[in-house]
Amino acid sequence: MENTIDQICTEALREIETAKSKDSLNAISVKYLGRKGIVTQFLRNISKLPTEERPKAGEKANEIKKILEKAFEDTASSLNSQSPEAHDYIDVSLQGRSAFPGSLHPITQITRQICDIFTRMGFDIAEGPEIESDYYNFEALNIPKYHPARDMQDTFYVSDNIVLRTHTSPIQVRVMEKRKPPVKVIAPGKVYRSDSDITHTPMFHQVEGLMVGENISFGNLKGILTNFVHLMFDEKTSLRFRPSFFPFTEPSAEVDILCVMCRGNGCRICSQTGWLEVLGAGMVHPAVFENVGYDTAKITGFAFGMGVERITMLKYGIDDIRKFFENDFRFLRQF
Amino acid sequence: MKVSLSWLKDYVNIEMDVQDLASALTMTGLEVESITNSFDYLDNVVVGRIVEISPHPNAEKLKICRVDTGNSIVQVVCGAPNIVENILAPLALPGTIFPDGSILQKCDIRGQVSEGMLCSERELELGDNKSGVMILSGTPETGTKISSALSLSDFVLEIGLTPNRSDCLSVIGIAREIAAIQKLKVEYPVRQQPDRNKDIQKYTSVRIEAPEHCPRYAAALVTDITVSESPFWLRKRLISIGQRPINNIVDITNFVMMECGQPLHAFDFNLLAENRIVVRTAEKGETFITLDQKERILDPEMLMICDGEKTVAIAGVMGGLNSEIANSTKRVLIESAYFNPLSIRKTSKKLGLSTEASYRFERGIDPLGTVNALVRAALLMTEIGNGKLTGGVIDENPLIHDVVPIELSISETGRLLGIEMDRENIKSCLESIEFDVENTDADTLKVTPPSFRVDITRSVDLMEEAARLYGYNNIPTTMPFIHAETIQPLKTLVLRDKIKNIMTDLSFMEAINYSFINESSCDQLRLLSNDKKRKLLHVLNPINEEQSVMRTSLIPGLLENMRRNLSQQVRNLKLFEIGNVFLSRGQDALPEEVEMAAGLWTGDRYNSVWYAKEIGCDFYDIKGIVEGLISGLNINNIRFTKMPFELCCYTKQGYTAQVTIEGRPIGLVGEIHPEVLRNFNLKQRAFIFELNCNTILDLTNKAKASQPLPKFPFTTRDITVIISKDIEAMSILEKLNSYGEKLIENTQLFDIFEGDPVPPGKKSVSVRIVYGSAEKTLEDNEVNGIHINITNRLLREFNASLSA
Repeated sequence: MENTIDQICTEALREIETAKSKDSLNAISVKYLGRKGIVTQFLRNISKLPTEERPKAGEKANEIKKILEKAFEDTASSLNSQSPEAHDYIDVSLQGRSAFPGSLHPITQITRQICDIFTRMGFDIAEGPEIESDYYNFEALNIPKYHPARDMQDTFYVSDNIVLRTHTSPIQVRVMEKRKPPVKVIAPGKVYRSDSDITHTPMFHQVEGLMVGENISFGNLKGILTNFVHLMFDEKTSLRFRPSFFPFTEPSAEVDILCVMCRGNGCRICSQTGWLEVLGAGMVHPAVFENVGYDTAKITGFAFGMGVERITMLKYGIDDIRKFFENDFRFLRQF
Repeated sequence: MKVSLSWLKDYVNIEMDVQDLASALTMTGLEVESITNSFDYLDNVVVGRIVEISPHPNAEKLKICRVDTGNSIVQVVCGAPNIVENILAPLALPGTIFPDGSILQKCDIRGQVSEGMLCSERELELGDNKSGVMILSGTPETGTKISSALSLSDFVLEIGLTPNRSDCLSVIGIAREIAAIQKLKVEYPVRQQPDRNKDIQKYTSVRIEAPEHCPRYAAALVTDITVSESPFWLRKRLISIGQRPINNIVDITNFVMMECGQPLHAFDFNLLAENRIVVRTAEKGETFITLDQKERILDPEMLMICDGEKTVAIAGVMGGLNSEIANSTKRVLIESAYFNPLSIRKTSKKLGLSTEASYRFERGIDPLGTVNALVRAALLMTEIGNGKLTGGVIDENPLIHDVVPIELSISETGRLLGIEMDRENIKSCLESIEFDVENTDADTLKVTPPSFRVDITRSVDLMEEAARLYGYNNIPTTMPFIHAETIQPLKTLVLRDKIKNIMTDLSFMEAINYSFINESSCDQLRLLSNDKKRKLLHVLNPINEEQSVMRTSLIPGLLENMRRNLSQQVRNLKLFEIGNVFLSRGQDALPEEVEMAAGLWTGDRYNSVWYAKEIGCDFYDIKGIVEGLISGLNINNIRFTKMPFELCCYTKQGYTAQVTIEGRPIGLVGEIHPEVLRNFNLKQRAFIFELNCNTILDLTNKAKASQPLPKFPFTTRDITVIISKDIEAMSILEKLNSYGEKLIENTQLFDIFEGDPVPPGKKSVSVRIVYGSAEKTLEDNEVNGIHINITNRLLREFNASLSA
C-alpha cells in the first residue's frame, strides 16, 4: 500500500516535470487530483482498509497530496514566468467572423474614377433622361432627320419622335439651355444602341464632357484630354488626335491612345496598330450654340465623349463586354 | 470605300510606301481600316510543271495531266489545246476562289479525279487570253505562289469614310487627298467637252416634272453598240476593288462612278417608250420591278425616271428590269443626274434598299460633275463598245448650283484652334485641296470651295480643313483659363453614391442590368392588371423579345441574375442595383423615369463558416439591410407595416412589409412569392427590397443638428407583457413613445416568445425602458412611480397581462 502510493507519487512528479504547457499540466492535475483522480480515489479507498492501517495510510496519502499540489503550483508558476502567452492561445488561422464589404460594379468604379479626375479639374456633373426626344438626341445636335450621320448610330425608337438616347450628348444641350457660359460639365450615363456582339451591348455607359467659354480652343481640348489620359492610365500613355466627323463638333477628332497592352508594338487588342481609339471629341459646332442661344461670335467650346465599358475593359483586361451585364458573382467579386 | 494603289496612280504620283500612305491618310481624316493585296485571291494558285500527259479514258477532248506542285505530284484533268509535257503553268489548288466567286474543289471529271485546275490568263483575271493554259516563261520554281512568280502586287486600301466626305467616294477624290498630302497636283483624265451640235435633240428629250427632287439631269446617246465582255484593264480595275464585271456597258458606268463619284445609269434606248425621259414622282401605290427582280411599292415622295409610258428606274437608287442592258442592246441612253440628297435618302430608307448610287446621291455628289462624267462614259462606250456618239448631250439644269464664297477670319481660326496660324499657312492648306483663296483684308480670306466639297458651307468648315491638313498633332497642347465658379453637386448623384457605398458596406454586390426586359415579366411577377408597373413603354425595334420593353421594376433583372448564378453553383448571393425604371405615358410622350434601389438576398445568412450554422437568410435579414441603409442615409421615422394581402404580387402574403417614412410609402421589403420563384425557374427562397430613390431624396434634405450629451446616469427598467399574438410587437414601443413621457430616453424590444408557459394565442414581449434626465440623477422611487403608471397604461390599452 505504501509502496503503491509512493509509486504514484514518483510517477506523478515525473509527469509534472515533463509538462510543457498549462493545458497539459491541468490534464495531469485532473488525472491525479481531480474528482476521479488517482490520488483522490486512493484517499477514498482508505476507508476500505483494515482499521489499523487507515491512519498511517491517510497521513501518507495527505502528505503526498500536498507534495503534488505544491509541485503543480510550482510548475504552473514557472510555466507562467517562462512565457505566459506561449501556453494561452487560440487558433488565429481561423477566418474572422464575416465583415466583408461587397463591391461596386466595375463600371461604377471606373465611372467614378473618370468623374473624379474631371471634377478635380473643375467640371460639374450633370445628368439627363435616358429616353429622349428626337430634338435633344439629334436635331439640337445638328443631326437633322434623314441626315446620313444618323447611320453612325443604330437607334432604338419608341416612336417617331422619341428614342432611347444614343449618346449622353443631349445633356450638353440641356445644360446649355439652362446655364450661361462659362460652362464646364461632364455627363455620365447609360446609352442605348441597337448592336450586340463581343464588343457591343445594346446598353452601355458614356461620359460626355463639355467646356464652353471665351477663348476655349482646340489646343485646350488637347490639354484637358491629355491630362485625363495620363491620370486614368499613366504618363507614358501618349495620345494621337485624328481628324474625324461628328455633326455636333467641328473640327472633330478621334482620340487614340498608345496601346496600353503592347505600348505601341502592335498586338491583338489594338489590331496590330499600336493605337486604341478611346475618345471622340471636337469643338462645339456653331449650329449647336445657335440652337441654345449662345453668341457664336464670343463663345467657343469643346466637347468629348468616351465609352466607360471600353476604358474598363482596357483597365482590367476584360475581353467580352457582355460580361458586365451578366452579373455573375464570380466576375463581380474580382473588382 | 476601297481603292487600289495602281488605280490611284493613274491620277497621282505616289512615292510613299503603302504603310506610310495609309498612316498619312488616317492622320488627315481618311481612316485606312485595312490594307490588302488585290491578288489575294491567287493565294492558292502555284507554279505547276506538267510531268506527264495521257488521254482521258472517257472523254476525247480531255487529257489527264500529272502535275508537279513542288511538294507532290497531283492528277489534274485539263481540256486546254496548248498543253505539252514539261511546260510551267498556273495550277489552282482546291480552295481557290475565282474572281467570279466560284470556289475550286477537288472533283471527279468524267470518272477521273482532278485535284486542281490548270488555268488560262482569263480564268485568273490576269489577261484576256482564254485560248489555253497560261504558259509561264522563265524559270520560276514549281510550287511558288503565282503572285510572287509573276511579281503581282497591288495594294487595296479600305477607307472608313465619315458621312461628310462624299467627295472621297471616288478614286479621284482619294487621289486628291493624296496629292494634297504630297503637295502635288491631281492629273485628271482628259476632260472632253460635248459636241456643239445638238443632234441628240432629234432623237430624245428629257422633261423634269419634279425639279425640287431633281435639280439636274444630263443624258447622252450612244448607238451601234456591241455589248460584250469588258477588256482586261477594265475588268481588272473593277475586280481590284471587289466589284464583279458584268458587261462592257454596265462596267463602264460603274468604272466612271468609281473614278469620279458620279453614279450613271445606262438604259436600253430601244426599250424606252417614245424614246424619251420624264422625271416625276411616283403615283400612290404604284409598283415597280427593280433590277434585282423584286417588286417595290412606291409612294408619291419617291422620284421616278420614266419613259413616255412607264417607269424605268427608281431615280438614284436602282434601275428596272424593263430597260436593262442586254446582249442584244444596240442603243444606250446614259443618264448622269444630280438628285436631291434628302429625296434619295428618304426613298432608300423607305424601300430598305441602299446601292452604290443611292449611297453617293444621299451624301451629295458634285453638282457640276454630271456632264464631265457623262462624256467620259460615252467616249469609253465608243472606244470599248464600238459605239457611235450622237452629237451633243442633253443637260436639263433648271436649278443651277452656285458655289458661294465664304469669308474666313485668320484671327478667329487661330483663336478656335489655339495656335497662331498665318495667312500663308492657311492659304496653302486650302489651296492644296483645290479651294480658291483670295485676300480680302488684313484678317480675312475669301474662300471658294470646289463644287465637289458639298460639306463646306461656313467658315468653321474651312477652319477644320486648315486644321486637319496642318495636322492636329502640330497644334500645341495647352490648358484653358476659365472661371472657377461651381454649382451644388447633383442631389440625385450624391444620394446614389451614398446608397451604393452603404450597400457595399453592408456586403452587397452591385449589379447592372439592361434597362429593357421581356414583356412577359409582368405576368411572371404576378402584377395585378391595374398595377402601374404594367404601364410599359415598348421599343419599336428591339433586338429580341427578351429586350422589348423598358423595365418598370428592377426585380426581374435581379431574379434573372439569381437564376444565372444558381446555375453556376453560386447559391449565396447578395446583390443590389440602382437604376431607372420607366413608366409609360403613352408611346408618343417621354415616360416618367424613376430611380429605384433594389436588393436581393438568397441562400444562407453566412457562407459556410466554422463559427455559425448554415441557416437560410430570412425576412429579418433583408429588413435589417433596409434599416441599415435608411439609417446610413440619416433618415429617421422609418416604419414597416404589413402589406395588405391583396397588394402583394411578387412577394409572399404575410411576409411583406410596406416601408414608409414620415407617412410616405417608399417601397417594400419581403420574400419572393413561391409562384414567382417558379416563373423564374428558381429553386430557393429569395428576399428582396425595392425602394423609390426619388421619394427618399425628398426626405433627406433635413439639416443635421447636434444634441447635447447626457450629464447624469440613466436608469433602466424591464417589463414583460403578455399580449394577443395578433398585435404587432413594435406597436408597444410606438405606444410607449407616444405617451410623451419626458424622462423616457430610449425603448428597446429585447425578447419575444410564444409557447408554453405563454397561453395559446398569446405572446410575451419584453421591453427595456431607459429613464434619464438632463437636469439630475433620477431617484429610484421617482422612476418606479412613472414606470408603474406606464406599465398599467400599457396593460390596459393592449388588454395585456404581466408575465408570471
